[in-house]
Amino acid sequence: MSVFGGDSWGREAQYRKRRVDDLIIEGIDGCGYKKLPNGKLVCLLCPHHPVLDTPLMLSQMHVKGSRHRAAESEQKERELSRQYQINKRIALADSSSTAVSSTSSEVRCGSTKTPLIEQVHKAASEILAGESPQCSTMDKSPDVRSDICYYKKENQSIAKSNATEVVAAPEVAFQQQLDYKNRRERELKLISAGWKRDAHGRWFKDENVEFDSDEEDPNVYLGQ
Amino acid sequence: MFLYSLTLQRATGMVCAINGSFSGGKSQEIVVARGKILDLLRPDDNGKLQTLLSVEIFGVIRSLAQFRLTGAQKDYIVVGSDSGRVVILEYNKEKNYFDKIHQETFGKSGCRRIVPGQYLAIDPKGRAAMIGACEKQKLVYVLNRDTATRLTISSPLEAHKSHTITYSICGVDCGFDNPIFAAIELDYSEADQDPTGVAASEAQKHLTFYELDLGLNHVSRKWSDQVDNGANMLVTVPGGGDGPSGVLVCAENFVIYKNQGHPDVRAVIPRRADLPAERGVLIVSAAMHKQKSMFFFLLQTEYGDIFKVTLDHDNDRVKELKIKYFDTIPVTSSLCVLKSGFLFAASEFGNHALYQFQAIGDDPDVEASSATLMETEEGFQPVFFQPRKLKNLVRIDQVESLMPIMDMKVINLFEEETPQIFSLCGRGPRSTLRILRPGLAISEMAVSQLPGVPSAVWTVKKNVNDEFDAYIVVSFANATLVLSIGETVEEVSDSGFLDTTPSLAVSLIGDDSLMQVHPSGIRHIREDGRINEWRTPGKRTIAKVGSNRLQVVIALNGGELIYFEVDMTGQLMEVEKHEMSGDVACLDIAPVPEGRQRSRFLAVGSYDNTIRILSLDPDDCMQILSLQSVSSPPESLLFLEVQASFGGEDGADHPANLFLNAGLQNGVLFRTVVDMVTGQVSDARSRFLGLRAPKLFSITVRGRRAMLCLSSRPWLGYIHQGHFLLTPLSYETLEYAASFSSDQCAEGVVAVAGDALRVFTIERLGETFNETAIPLRYTPRKFVVQPKRKSLIIIESDQGAFTAEEREASKKECFDAAGIGENGNAEQMENGGEDEENNDPLSDEQYGYPKAESERWVSCIRVLDPRTTQTTCLLELQDNEAAFSICTVNFHDKEYGTLLAVGTAKGLQYWPKRSFDAGYIHIYRFKEDGKVLELLHKTQVEGIPLALCQFQGRLLAGIGSVLRLYDLGKRRLLRKCENKLFPNTITSIHTYRDRIYVGDIQESFHYCKYRRDENQLYIFADDTVPRWLTAATHVDFDTMAGADKFGNLYFVRLPQDVSDEIEEDPTGGKIKWEQGKLNGAPNKVEEIIQFHVGDVVTCLQKASLIPGGGEGLVYGTVMGSVGALLPFTSRDDVDFFSHLEMHLRQEHPPLCGRDHMAYRSAYFPVKDVIDGDLCEQFPTLPVDMQRKIADELDRTPAEILKKLEEIRNKII
Repeated sequence: MSVFGGDSWGREAQYRKRRVDDLIIEGIDGCGYKKLPNGKLVCLLCPHHPVLDTPLMLSQMHVKGSRHRAAESEQKERELSRQYQINKRIALADSSSTAVSSTSSEVRCGSTKTPLIEQVHKAASEILAGESPQCSTMDKSPDVRSDICYYKKENQSIAKSNATEVVAAPEVAFQQQLDYKNRRERELKLISAGWKRDAHGRWFKDENVEFDSDEEDPNVYLGQ
Repeated sequence: MFLYSLTLQRATGMVCAINGSFSGGKSQEIVVARGKILDLLRPDDNGKLQTLLSVEIFGVIRSLAQFRLTGAQKDYIVVGSDSGRVVILEYNKEKNYFDKIHQETFGKSGCRRIVPGQYLAIDPKGRAAMIGACEKQKLVYVLNRDTATRLTISSPLEAHKSHTITYSICGVDCGFDNPIFAAIELDYSEADQDPTGVAASEAQKHLTFYELDLGLNHVSRKWSDQVDNGANMLVTVPGGGDGPSGVLVCAENFVIYKNQGHPDVRAVIPRRADLPAERGVLIVSAAMHKQKSMFFFLLQTEYGDIFKVTLDHDNDRVKELKIKYFDTIPVTSSLCVLKSGFLFAASEFGNHALYQFQAIGDDPDVEASSATLMETEEGFQPVFFQPRKLKNLVRIDQVESLMPIMDMKVINLFEEETPQIFSLCGRGPRSTLRILRPGLAISEMAVSQLPGVPSAVWTVKKNVNDEFDAYIVVSFANATLVLSIGETVEEVSDSGFLDTTPSLAVSLIGDDSLMQVHPSGIRHIREDGRINEWRTPGKRTIAKVGSNRLQVVIALNGGELIYFEVDMTGQLMEVEKHEMSGDVACLDIAPVPEGRQRSRFLAVGSYDNTIRILSLDPDDCMQILSLQSVSSPPESLLFLEVQASFGGEDGADHPANLFLNAGLQNGVLFRTVVDMVTGQVSDARSRFLGLRAPKLFSITVRGRRAMLCLSSRPWLGYIHQGHFLLTPLSYETLEYAASFSSDQCAEGVVAVAGDALRVFTIERLGETFNETAIPLRYTPRKFVVQPKRKSLIIIESDQGAFTAEEREASKKECFDAAGIGENGNAEQMENGGEDEENNDPLSDEQYGYPKAESERWVSCIRVLDPRTTQTTCLLELQDNEAAFSICTVNFHDKEYGTLLAVGTAKGLQYWPKRSFDAGYIHIYRFKEDGKVLELLHKTQVEGIPLALCQFQGRLLAGIGSVLRLYDLGKRRLLRKCENKLFPNTITSIHTYRDRIYVGDIQESFHYCKYRRDENQLYIFADDTVPRWLTAATHVDFDTMAGADKFGNLYFVRLPQDVSDEIEEDPTGGKIKWEQGKLNGAPNKVEEIIQFHVGDVVTCLQKASLIPGGGEGLVYGTVMGSVGALLPFTSRDDVDFFSHLEMHLRQEHPPLCGRDHMAYRSAYFPVKDVIDGDLCEQFPTLPVDMQRKIADELDRTPAEILKKLEEIRNKII
């Protein structure tokens, strides 16, 4: 009796046949074709993507055809040239990055990853909160460490940023990054503890969150 | 991913049981249904229950009945299952299998309301069977025999009545008149029509008699009469000359005798004095025992009390119905009274038991009788009794049952070679923590210290015909000790053995003489005391010895083999010498075949990693017959002869075979088949046993030769129900062993380890696990492991019970009243009757807890040290609180270290609607080295916390439908973040990195993320299928495994591209989430695995049960089975097993008529799981069928068996 309830062996036989077909197809490169949901196969190498009914057609007939062969060799050529390009780029990238210390390059990557809006938002909020600008963003130039106003600095830093970063001593960059990390961590801790910032950048308690009665107010201890 | 599903421990609970003589003649057997397994049990001569046969039927057994054709000697089994078919089975004693005689299809498959299968009733004279559904349908089959005395079955006759619910059916004994079946029915047609509910409250149950007219071949409703609305069960009363006929209707608080044309005879079921008034007494199981002159019924109530019911009758008139308290045993699902004087109790939960009748409660005083029935205006006057110790029954055997497994964890807490399975089992006072270890249980008979560290031990008989061994010979580094076996084991010096030298081998040689091989020679001790000594030539010493009863081969240093034979006069004669190329590592001679002079094969293992098979025939003596190279030098060799078997006690046919086993130095056991004619070796298999080179010994198990392998732990290789099994023993490392047989211990093993001599026996063959049980107080719910201290913390709770103090107080009161001195102290009470020796006349384990009102809860939190099995702390929760969830949590930068969080509910009620007073989360800290808990604080929450989990140094709690993140505050937990968008109730929480996998009680998994920078929890993916989740485990970053309450196991996986997208998206898919999709999550998980286990899975865990083995999924079920799913590692294996499964489905359809594929796809089509339980039925097929399937797979049956063995060994 068939497992599908009827007395037909058809399903079983069909299944077996499909398995055998799948085995036959294994001789061909796997990325050269695709199996369609209806069981037919499509050749991905030929530009016009011919659809073939059975694996046998694909493996025995189509693959040996001249058009397919031409497409195949073209594909190979393309692949080679692309590989060449990649190698070239990698080589170039290696030579350029030697000057920059690994930490600062990471920092750059990190900063470019966060979307611009977020960065701006953060910068703005911190300025409004009246905090010292030292570690507010990582885009700022390392030589500006005095108490000058952030507004002024911004103009310079945009112009200078890349050039100065390259020449900056790695320790300084590292120190900055550490500071930034600590700050960020502290901020995240506050946020996850349920503190929120108002429009003036001051911390306030989220009304849906509970706090210990003696919990310190971050406005007080961070403000110092 | 493809998985191989294998049941490691078959279901241990029992759904129903019947008894009869299924193998014919006088023998009494019990057939037991364990959900999807049909077992045949028989009490042996020692009163131990032996499982003769166990068959997985791939269906749900719902009812069983036995019948016997008039004048026949043998009972048949009728099975009502979910297959929509009725199946009649006959037990074939010779071949040990169930023979399907008839299979009649009547309806759709599945457990449905109106498809029969739920109830079975048999005409007591075996002429007809009725199979009924819960509703409407009942079919009657006429059973008869044809001219060749084969059983015939008619086409079904309908006894349907629409709009009726059936509660119970039974056959009515009316001699050889037309067969009658009785049914308790309730007509709901009016109630269905009436929306006001008046008709529903007035609905009345009826007892209806259906008569099968054998002449007209037609079933008619013969008689119908009102019965109590509490009626739940019918019991047949003997008739046709043996009794008054009719039925006993068991109803709430009453037992009523009813028959057509006979007034009701009613008696009250006695109540326990301490039972609350709101509770009724229901009968849950019944058994009838009939002898020539008398009959009686044993009825068990839901509290475990058994009552003996007798009818005083005068021909057909019943004058009095008497109810007498008989004994109390744990509540059963079936009671079987065997003709041999045993009572088999298939327990509802916990271990099953076999009792022997001591008496049948013949005293004239009875508790309740129809004659003394008192009716007042409030109804009938209740009758009270006091339960007492067992008086009429005595328990002689127990069958272990894990049912139900509430929670389970696989951990290696004891740092043994294989991990242990810790499982919470049972219910109420019978609950236990069981520690399962893979391996056979042994029972140690004796341990005695020896004067030195022995190197070897042997046992010898004095004569080949002796039943028991005469001596134990122990060899030390420079001496030999001889112990004689008698009443006691003591040292003797008159045995003739040389005691100033170590021994290499000691054995019986010829018919009645003894041989001792020592490094410088062979000492042959004749029966009359004469001693012949053979000395080695020159200064060479004997290195290795191999011998059987008639042949001895020794290997001298340097590699010379000398072969001796016992001649006609009993002398040991040198026959042949042979020089090997190098030193001999080990040797063995095959046992002498039946009726032969000598064995033909000698196996010699050499240090060049080879094993040679040499001939011992006089024609080609010492010729090399075959050569096998192995991976490492062999350390020990053993020929194991398997005698030809055709059925019999242990099942399947197998031809005679000779196996050569070799223990290699790298710890591998190597096994090949030796051709019995040519000596060629084939079909090599190897298995890693342990870190030490296995030493092999031949012992006897159940009268058959078996092999003991001593590696870093002992293993036993034996044949069980046609399979060769190699199973570890749960025992310490042994050095050397020999079989042992004395009149105290017929089949034992004597072994040496360290400086001790140990004698033990091996028990419960065929089982995968052995268990150690630790009693608990209430139904265990969950447990966690304290990772540092390695202690277990268990939460237990029970509804409708009293707390320990209240029980203690009421017990005292009760004993004071009864004038019995109370011996049980509080400590014994704690664990609910730890053992029977504590003289507590009413152990809770047996009598159950006194019942309280249903809204009362008791609960406790227990800290248990599994090594000492001691409870170091037990906190009983107060104020009607019950614990439901538990987890350990480390709050970030808080001073306490690991804390324990427990979720509780106060005043929980399920009926009429789920309600509760309050929910709490308790936080405990560990004190005194983790042994004691101290409450830190308790936070009230607005739902029941059913799931708790640590997450990033905080506590995640599922409170009703809210997922909430808590931080630890000084006086309470502080709510930090929550998500209220879960559909029903959160029952499981798992975390991995920043993902949270939440399981909902009816809507499967929800994948969540926590964003720290916005302090928000949101759902980014969920499942499309509304699954009623019962167990869940985390498999990998994108994958969860779960089980639902319909018995399905499934895996869901987040598609790779979606997962990448979520991880890369800076908003973490939040924007998408905010958009949502039809109120669901924006992404959907895909189902990648689907399998119907057929049993409710209660716990899942990713684990490996063997050292170094691949991880699989281990699960435990309500019916007490343990199974595993192992991922395949190669495509070839998947192909092979899926084809094997396909062929087995076709060639070997399940026994009870359910289609295998349909069963495994009962709710969802099975996906990418191969059923190992079906594949493992391959060896039980007839040989020609095996060959046919093997041919189709282009393999030999042996290869298939090897493959099956291999994959099993990968799991356990």
